Amino acid sequence: MLRREFLGFATGIVTMPALIDFPPRRRTVVLDLQEHCCLRESVAGYNAVLADLSLATRRSVVIVPAAGRIPEAALQRIVTSVQAGAVVILESGAAFASRQDLRAHGDALRALEVRVSAPVHLWPRGTPYVDYQWPRAAKLRDFSRVIPLADHAGEAIGWIDGVPVALRRQVSRGTFIFLGSPLGPALWAGDADAKRWLLDVVRS
Amino acid sequence: MKKAIGDNMIPKEWGFERGLELVKKAGYDGIELWLGDVPWFQMATSDSDVRELRRKVENAGLVVSNVSTGLHWATPLSARDPAARAQAARIVERQIETAVLLGTDAVLVVAGLVTEEVPYNEVYQRCLEALKLLGDKAARAAVKVGCENCNSEQRFLISPREFSQFLNDVGSPAVGIHLDVGNIHDTGFAEQWIEIHGPRITRIHLKDVLKHRGRCGDQSVYTNLFLGDNNWPGIRAALTKVRYDGWLIAEMEARYRYAPDQQFYDTAQAMDRFISGRL
Repeated sequence: MLRREFLGFATGIVTMPALIDFPPRRRTVVLDLQEHCCLRESVAGYNAVLADLSLATRRSVVIVPAAGRIPEAALQRIVTSVQAGAVVILESGAAFASRQDLRAHGDALRALEVRVSAPVHLWPRGTPYVDYQWPRAAKLRDFSRVIPLADHAGEAIGWIDGVPVALRRQVSRGTFIFLGSPLGPALWAGDADAKRWLLDVVRS
Repeated sequence: MKKAIGDNMIPKEWGFERGLELVKKAGYDGIELWLGDVPWFQMATSDSDVRELRRKVENAGLVVSNVSTGLHWATPLSARDPAARAQAARIVERQIETAVLLGTDAVLVVAGLVTEEVPYNEVYQRCLEALKLLGDKAARAAVKVGCENCNSEQRFLISPREFSQFLNDVGSPAVGIHLDVGNIHDTGFAEQWIEIHGPRITRIHLKDVLKHRGRCGDQSVYTNLFLGDNNWPGIRAALTKVRYDGWLIAEMEARYRYAPDQQFYDTAQAMDRFISGRL
């Protein structure tokens, strides 16, 4: 899918039912892909942090934790949400997925104009951190396996050993964020820096 | 108190039955079976074959003291990969199942492994979640899960109060501590661990440790009973204080290079001496 197709993807979409419905007063939603979520503790991590979030956010936020295969309906919702001005965080868990789900994950990312490389097992390594530069500079723990970005230097917001693994992109009024290294498990484990980083994104 | 020794001490070329004869002859009351560490007791060993192991143990005049495993060193409950964690939980479940088949009521689990890659906070949370579920399963089977204190090797739950807090957080009466008095070496004193954990101790591993005796003075090495630096009178007194009257299981990390059967006799005699309190 080309960028202009991505931008126009929302046209004619039928709203997906219960899977990712926005409750009327809640503007931050964790979109649980259920069997297509590769790391359940990532869902728990985001939910735990967002449960503490008493402040209203400026914009709607959709978080997709540890995505493996991304169903068409979820993909459409990601696009429509960004189109509507939301911040969408798509966290990849595909490095922990089966080969088939990994392939399907890559196909879905291409539809979102995100090109990635094959998963990399990071360990053993010297520095166990992902370096984020946006929305705040932060060193957050890697999660053993990563999906690196290909050709996204200009939009990258996070790197491991100089390799880009996270990007941010403005799409229409919304912001699309891709995380190639799972952040949710760090939230689940109580990492205060990871929480601050997420809250800054949510409030951005 | 009763004496046992692990079947992983039996020279592999001897086979299980010859090993049992030696264990009985050396004066032990029971044998600890190590799932996955010996050819006769693997994850794939069928229920009927496990029953056959029990028959052999009982025919030798012994009982099974508990079911242990070293499989969690490679596949820990704290793994980041959900598939590896599921396999680790399955290992514990199989331990529980086989404990019932073997007529014993305790299993040993190395609960978590802190590494450079997998940090402490993650390990703590994952072990907590896993053991809450496994504790329920163990309780239904009337089996106790003893988390072993492998202090230095695990780099996890290194102090007795920390371990106690962990067990509090698990909150299951079916989950306790399998206390290894030789594993504490530089991180404390076994007699203090015994006093703190008391009724939560499911089984006790006995071995001794030479503290700071390595070539550079910075290493501790395991050794036979009474040869190392454990305070054996203190340990014996602490067991009396907490009224521990269960299994003592010899876990000799260092094997005799020659005459391996002699280690069974020597260790049994040392354990008798320890139990009698003539120290």
